[in-house]
Amino acid sequence: MRIVSALLGLVLGAACGLAAALAAAGIVGPGVRLGGGIDVDGWTSDWTIGSAAANPWTRARIARHGLLALTREEAVYFTRNTDDAGDRFSEACTYQVSGGKMPGQWWSVTVYDASSFLPGNTDNALSFDLTDAAAAGDAGTWTFTVSAAPAEGDWVSSNAAGAFDMTLRIYKPTPDLIAAPTAALTPPRVDKIACKDAI
Amino acid sequence: MRLPGIGLAAFVIGLVATHFIVLNALPGRIMSKARERIVASGAPVHEWRMTPRVTPQTQTIVRPSPDLAYAICLIDTSNGPVVLSVPTWPEYGSLSIFDASTDNVYAGSLDSRLPDAPQLRTVVVTSTAMQTFGPRVDVSSVVALKNPRALALIRRLAPSQGLYDTAAGLLPESRCEPLL
Repeated sequence: MRIVSALLGLVLGAACGLAAALAAAGIVGPGVRLGGGIDVDGWTSDWTIGSAAANPWTRARIARHGLLALTREEAVYFTRNTDDAGDRFSEACTYQVSGGKMPGQWWSVTVYDASSFLPGNTDNALSFDLTDAAAAGDAGTWTFTVSAAPAEGDWVSSNAAGAFDMTLRIYKPTPDLIAAPTAALTPPRVDKIACKDAI
Repeated sequence: MRLPGIGLAAFVIGLVATHFIVLNALPGRIMSKARERIVASGAPVHEWRMTPRVTPQTQTIVRPSPDLAYAICLIDTSNGPVVLSVPTWPEYGSLSIFDASTDNVYAGSLDSRLPDAPQLRTVVVTSTAMQTFGPRVDVSSVVALKNPRALALIRRLAPSQGLYDTAAGLLPESRCEPLL
């Protein structure tokens, strides 16, 4: 009876351990952030990404959702999946993203779907970056629209993105950003303009 | 120990052991799968290969940047060190190396605008089991791996087809080969 009880406990424990590991890594669901998190006005990151210092949860989550990510000396990655009002990003809504100078050599903002891939559309409008901001006239003050349908001005398509997220990449970040991210970074604002079902 | 106690203890042991075994195995497994996909796409070991310009239709690895031109080289140091040599780029660019457990073990800039930027970024990749390697080359860095398999990646800012083509044109000048 003791052996049966031990075996049953072991099997149930192993099943729960497996499920918890897959959930933490984001193999099932979005993944779990445990420790080392940085949050700047809703844009989250982790300075241990890509490095040997990453804890096993971060390492597994990044392997699933950010394979081949660089260490913070080369690039930092901030992600958010809610607008400034705290509502989940949705393909059904239109957003205005606005910001200014970023503390690094080059930056970009890209839309990804819930499985961490570029949304499956052919709109050829996948990201907005420093090159686009400079081309629009002022790399220090910029705005673009995220929506499923083409918009006036600079536009990033969320067509076929579902419940998406956005990643802000800053390449060659300044030492100030690495040392004190909340003080050095004024991240982009993301304002919801309208949603299809509200029109 | 009573029956419920034995069952509970076994449950906790099973949970914790399985959780950490799976968690620690996942990055290596995911990297291994990614390598298999790259090999299946026709990329040989020790040869730079441009990945197609990033679009939703061509993406094979999570969260690719559509603004960058990527080139990949599969590395295997089982039979000795491997040398990487890559021309710089007039915009943002980097040469990076990822080990079998997904760690970014090396990242060097390819931006030719930076002070003291070399014309070629040269790195020797070796196994920790090997303390020395043969011929002397002018290297920026020596990277020691715990596992002989790794993946090298070139990123170059190339948001247009023209710039992608220019980046692809640099591949013949790039080396990823055994250091003889």
